[in-house]
Amino acid sequence: MGLLNFTREPVPEAVSADMHNLNQLSAQQFSALTEVLFRFLTEPKEVERFLTQLSDFATMNKISLGPLKNIVKSILLVPNGALKRNLSSEQVRADFIALGLSEEKASYFAEQWKVNSPTLTRLAVGQTLMINQLIDMEWKFGVTAGSSELEKVGSIFLQLKLVIKKGSQLENVYVELTLPQFYSFLHEMERVKTSLESFS
Amino acid sequence: MAALRDGDFAALQTLLKAPSKDAVRQLCQECFCSPPAALGPLAQRAGPGLAVSAEEAEQLVSALHNLTRHVVYRGFTRAEDILCLFPENFHQNLKNLLTKIILENISAWRNEAQASQISLPRLVDMDWRVDIKTSSDSIVRMAVPTCLLQLKIQEDAALCGNNPVVSALTVELSKETLDTMLEGLGRIRDQLSAVANK
Repeated sequence: MGLLNFTREPVPEAVSADMHNLNQLSAQQFSALTEVLFRFLTEPKEVERFLTQLSDFATMNKISLGPLKNIVKSILLVPNGALKRNLSSEQVRADFIALGLSEEKASYFAEQWKVNSPTLTRLAVGQTLMINQLIDMEWKFGVTAGSSELEKVGSIFLQLKLVIKKGSQLENVYVELTLPQFYSFLHEMERVKTSLESFS
Repeated sequence: MAALRDGDFAALQTLLKAPSKDAVRQLCQECFCSPPAALGPLAQRAGPGLAVSAEEAEQLVSALHNLTRHVVYRGFTRAEDILCLFPENFHQNLKNLLTKIILENISAWRNEAQASQISLPRLVDMDWRVDIKTSSDSIVRMAVPTCLLQLKIQEDAALCGNNPVVSALTVELSKETLDTMLEGLGRIRDQLSAVANK
């Protein structure tokens, strides 16, 4: 086996056998299995659904679930590595062929990879570490009519509630701004937007 | 906020024993600024200068506190409004002096009252930085811009007295979050304009 694109580590022994088994599937069966896989890759939280669909596939095609799961584990090695390394569809195809998958099936999978990779890349970027991510912002503004020290006030206040993700918990932060502060804040945020846009 | 009481004006006449107009001015300032709890110690400090008993000093300080706070509360800006507060038999010159001193200070006192009113934690400063994320454990090569925003927030001044607690909060915003936030801030600006133009 030559150098692989999706990984620098040696591939587990079982993978060749799994690819060989995959080659035994008809084009239709392989296509159905690929669809199940990509649906899971684009929605990684839907684990229950994925397992159910695999189980259905196994039953419909008279394959034992255990070996099927091993095959799926082997196949998933490639897209996971490819995503990390921003591989092109040609590289994905070449890797599957190097692992022992037929040219026809490798090309098919690579095509599906091309179609799904923008979604998958966006997901991977979204999983990247964020510190104290701002999830939501709620606001209200109003007029202070009076206080215990001043019978009539008539000043405008703005209150923001920032919902921040700290680790796995959400924390609410409440802040009050005066009107000049608000305009200054807005101005700064517009400058940030310009800066972010120039780098996109 | 304390209201003016009947005995207050009688107590104020103790000021006639003050050594100078400046002494009266100084005392007015101190009585306004002092919270009710600190009036006792203030009376103890002021008493000797006025050659009055401790009890008289306390009553004076309390009366001056009530008078100054009351005027600020009502938002009086004209001498007539303040002069009307005094009873008819009150010493004329003292009445005029007190009115003059109060008018001199009223706008600074109003600002101070507004600055120290209760509120949610206040934003005192804000800084930002734009980073480009180039790599992570989930994706080896990328160029994703992100914004780090640091907000300096001060806890309610009334709770902290002279040592306000300022905490710094750093949040990260993706471009999408920033766009949504700007949309919200824009709506606030539009509504503020609508209110201002009414």
